[in-house]
Amino acid sequence: MKASEKKAKEISKKAKEKQKTILESLKSHGAKIYEDLENGQFPKFSIPSRSVGNIVYDKKLRQYILGNSTALRSAKNSAQLRSFTQLMWLAFFANRLTQEKKSSTLRDVYYSSQAFAIEFDDQSESDNIIVDLEAVTSRPREDFHIFPEERSSIFGDLNIEYTIPGYEGKKMNLSNHPDGYSIGPSLTTAELVDTSAEIVIAIEKGGLFTRFVEEQVDKKFKSIIINTGGQAPRSTRTLLKRLHDEMGLPVIILTDGDVYGEHIAMVIKSGSANAAHLRELTVPDAKWVGVWATDIEKYKLPTIPMTESDIKRCYDLQKDPRYESGIWKKELQVFLRLKRKAELEAFAKYGLTNITDKYLPQKLELAKSL
Amino acid sequence: MSSIKEKFNQISPSEFFYSNRDLAGFSNPTRSLYTAVREFVENALDACDQKGILPDVHLTIKAVDPDKPDPKPYILTVKDNGPGVDAKHIPLAFGTVLYGSKFGLKQARGMFGLGATMAILYGQITTNKPVIVKSSTDAKIQNQFEILLDIQKNKPVIQKHTTKEISKKGLSVSICLEGDYSKAGNKIRDYVYETSLITPYATITFDDPKGQKFHHPRFVKEIPPPPTIIRPHPHGIDVERIRRMIVESQFEIPTIDDLMIEKVRKDLGLSKQNLSFTAIMTKAKKKWKNLSRQVRVVIALLSFLKMDFEKLSKIRIEDLDVPNKKLHYWDFGDSQSKTVDMDPESQYYKQLTNTVQGEPLTTFLTKRFQRVGPTTAVKFAEFAKFKPEKRMGTLTNQELVNLSDSLQKFDDFMAPDSSCLAPLGEEPLEKGIKKFFNPDFTAVVQRPASAYSGFPFIVEMGIAYGGDIKSGGPHVYRYANRIPLLYDEGSDVVLKVVNDTDWGRYKVKGDPPFIIVSHICSTRIPYKTAGKENVADRQEIERELRLALQFLSRKLAAFMSKKGQAEMAKKRANLYAKYIPMIAEFCTELAGKKKEPNYKKILEGLEPVEVKTEKTVKEEKPIESK
Repeated sequence: MKASEKKAKEISKKAKEKQKTILESLKSHGAKIYEDLENGQFPKFSIPSRSVGNIVYDKKLRQYILGNSTALRSAKNSAQLRSFTQLMWLAFFANRLTQEKKSSTLRDVYYSSQAFAIEFDDQSESDNIIVDLEAVTSRPREDFHIFPEERSSIFGDLNIEYTIPGYEGKKMNLSNHPDGYSIGPSLTTAELVDTSAEIVIAIEKGGLFTRFVEEQVDKKFKSIIINTGGQAPRSTRTLLKRLHDEMGLPVIILTDGDVYGEHIAMVIKSGSANAAHLRELTVPDAKWVGVWATDIEKYKLPTIPMTESDIKRCYDLQKDPRYESGIWKKELQVFLRLKRKAELEAFAKYGLTNITDKYLPQKLELAKSL
Repeated sequence: MSSIKEKFNQISPSEFFYSNRDLAGFSNPTRSLYTAVREFVENALDACDQKGILPDVHLTIKAVDPDKPDPKPYILTVKDNGPGVDAKHIPLAFGTVLYGSKFGLKQARGMFGLGATMAILYGQITTNKPVIVKSSTDAKIQNQFEILLDIQKNKPVIQKHTTKEISKKGLSVSICLEGDYSKAGNKIRDYVYETSLITPYATITFDDPKGQKFHHPRFVKEIPPPPTIIRPHPHGIDVERIRRMIVESQFEIPTIDDLMIEKVRKDLGLSKQNLSFTAIMTKAKKKWKNLSRQVRVVIALLSFLKMDFEKLSKIRIEDLDVPNKKLHYWDFGDSQSKTVDMDPESQYYKQLTNTVQGEPLTTFLTKRFQRVGPTTAVKFAEFAKFKPEKRMGTLTNQELVNLSDSLQKFDDFMAPDSSCLAPLGEEPLEKGIKKFFNPDFTAVVQRPASAYSGFPFIVEMGIAYGGDIKSGGPHVYRYANRIPLLYDEGSDVVLKVVNDTDWGRYKVKGDPPFIIVSHICSTRIPYKTAGKENVADRQEIERELRLALQFLSRKLAAFMSKKGQAEMAKKRANLYAKYIPMIAEFCTELAGKKKEPNYKKILEGLEPVEVKTEKTVKEEKPIESK
């Protein structure tokens, strides 16, 4: 048995154990509620508080986490009764999804609720309940087979083996289709078998992703290319983490040369405050390689002025402890000094392939020293 | 009464009212029909009230020619089971203006019976038909009159007078008048309806021209205590009234004729004995306490004349000169005028001065006015700068004016006596409201008596919420002296007080189903107009109305918040009943169980709390008088 196969088996075993723990977690919560009702008591449970005051930055974990304060949710409180029921239904629904290995999306959850006479005023209310379930179980919604609507994509020499029902054991090489493969539940849960790539390049925009495929960046730089489609969805971050952790691939990130781009990179690296209740979504070793504010000057990129909200965002991020040192701090300061920003497409000024021919090699080289 | 008449002697009162009939509410066929109904119904109710009879009032309006378009002649008949009117009074009572029995100072729906004669007058003017009056005072004989009014002479013209045997007491008045029922119908029906609310002890039946019958049986069998006629309060008086009171308090020196002598002898028990002067005086002294004023005056005169009855019959008193203490008389026997001196120290002298000069001020005040005691009277005399013993008969015109002014200004008189008022009472009012509106909440209050300008008044008020009451409230039912007020609502003091209330503060929101019943009782309601439809905003009355409404509103607020809490609890219970089973369903599958947990225990602990309504009034069977 090859080493990689052995490893894959282990991973598979791990994945099954993970599913088991998730189901057990849901069951234990359900049992607790059941017991309360059986005893003639109003069911209740505690949930980590997600209020701003309870979100703290953990330097050791290098991400935001929730503090110790919890909130009690009780069915006795008539104001909470509705959301209590909604959460119970969601747990029940997630339990079915997980058990039957079926996938759903945020929107699908919202519409499915109607079949059970569960009322959500709108999708944002049901999205919020999904976050509640994440907080109670400390599991990302993807573990319950609930995915966001938007899909990012992946391209490169990576062999995978599906684990979803009906495709078990089926293999796929992710460089067979030039448009790339969308990162959905089947891909996120697939076993990563092997790869010839030596690096993962996460890129913010679909346009550049297509250019990179056309320019065969995967072959030229032995890389797996991932389009994050703006802020990387959870599933994409999960996949990035797995590529890093399981395949031992370094991850670099290319974004637009603005404050939002910088933060997209930061979220991949160390998560977001919104997901402070979740761990294992971060790739702490991921490296942001551009476009930096300093690159704007260095490469004399065409720029547009920053908007008021861009500038406000800069000041906001300066208060974030993760922006207190290194390039994060430095680039933020330069953005504030320039008050201008540049898109990845700005390199087109020097020719359509300039970014892959000139800029990317330089940055890849630089990444080794970061 | 005679002095009131004198004021209009230049033209006849009938003529006066004929040319000013708008004042009394007879301005057009619509309003006139309504006013006529009111006047007759109120007269009927007043007559029954005064004799403590449970009223049965039957109102009928019939078109003379139903096919004619309005306005057209109608026959209006109001029949009651009251005491009836003596046959000898009927022509004057129904055939002259300003004749009536309601002259005392007490609460009554109408004054002087003026309105009824106005209606008769209006009927005659518009249709030239006589009023038909049927009356029985003894439940044996009924007198039936057909009377026309001679407007210029203010005299009745009897066209027909018949009698017949009958078994019931009561009065029936029927007139023919020009009216517009299609327009006045709503108001008349409202009037009958609202009257039966404030007169719960009366049975009122209305047969309308369209053949509809409105029957409002009594639901209270106790008639409220009738008001008593009382003396006036010093604050509610004027110079003219004082002058008349003084006249009433003075006595003429009685004519000493054979008849009078006979009376004195009889009262002294000396009809058959001829005693000497001294013996007469001794006898009189013994019997003094039981003697009438007239007899006392004769005895007093006798004491100075020093005569026996024989001699007394032969003289005539010419003059009683009190200041000079002389008594002049004509002696028929000697055919000459004679004079005797009067001893001012004699008790008989005092008796005579009282008679001639009237009572001392303090006596006048304590005897002729309500709520004035000897101490207050002396204090007042000092305040008004009069000697307490000042004789009322000796007051000059200027002194009379000063006295009248001072009576108004003196603040130490007690509040007016309210025994002349006849409020309905909290219990009958509440019963009426509950019967009429079947509400979820009722509260009533009767304020203590208060007074404005010397006229006592009492405010009664009721408030009700929910039940059969239609939304869009507050609906205000205004009453004054048990009369519903239907017109000119906008300018009424009650409406003003209601509109000034911030109902949100009392937890009454939106389009609330609630009513307010307001009843003002007074010896004189300060109406803004002669039509008696809206009460003027006298400060004292407004204050009482406000206090009554505040009291009731607070009770309503307590009910509303209780209601709100109960509704909330019910809502909450409904929420539990909806969601708990769902939670149970989901957690059963989640926990991997087959059977749902027994969550009923929780729901049972949460039985929804019903809103406590106050529908406790038992439906009472209508009580018919026998």
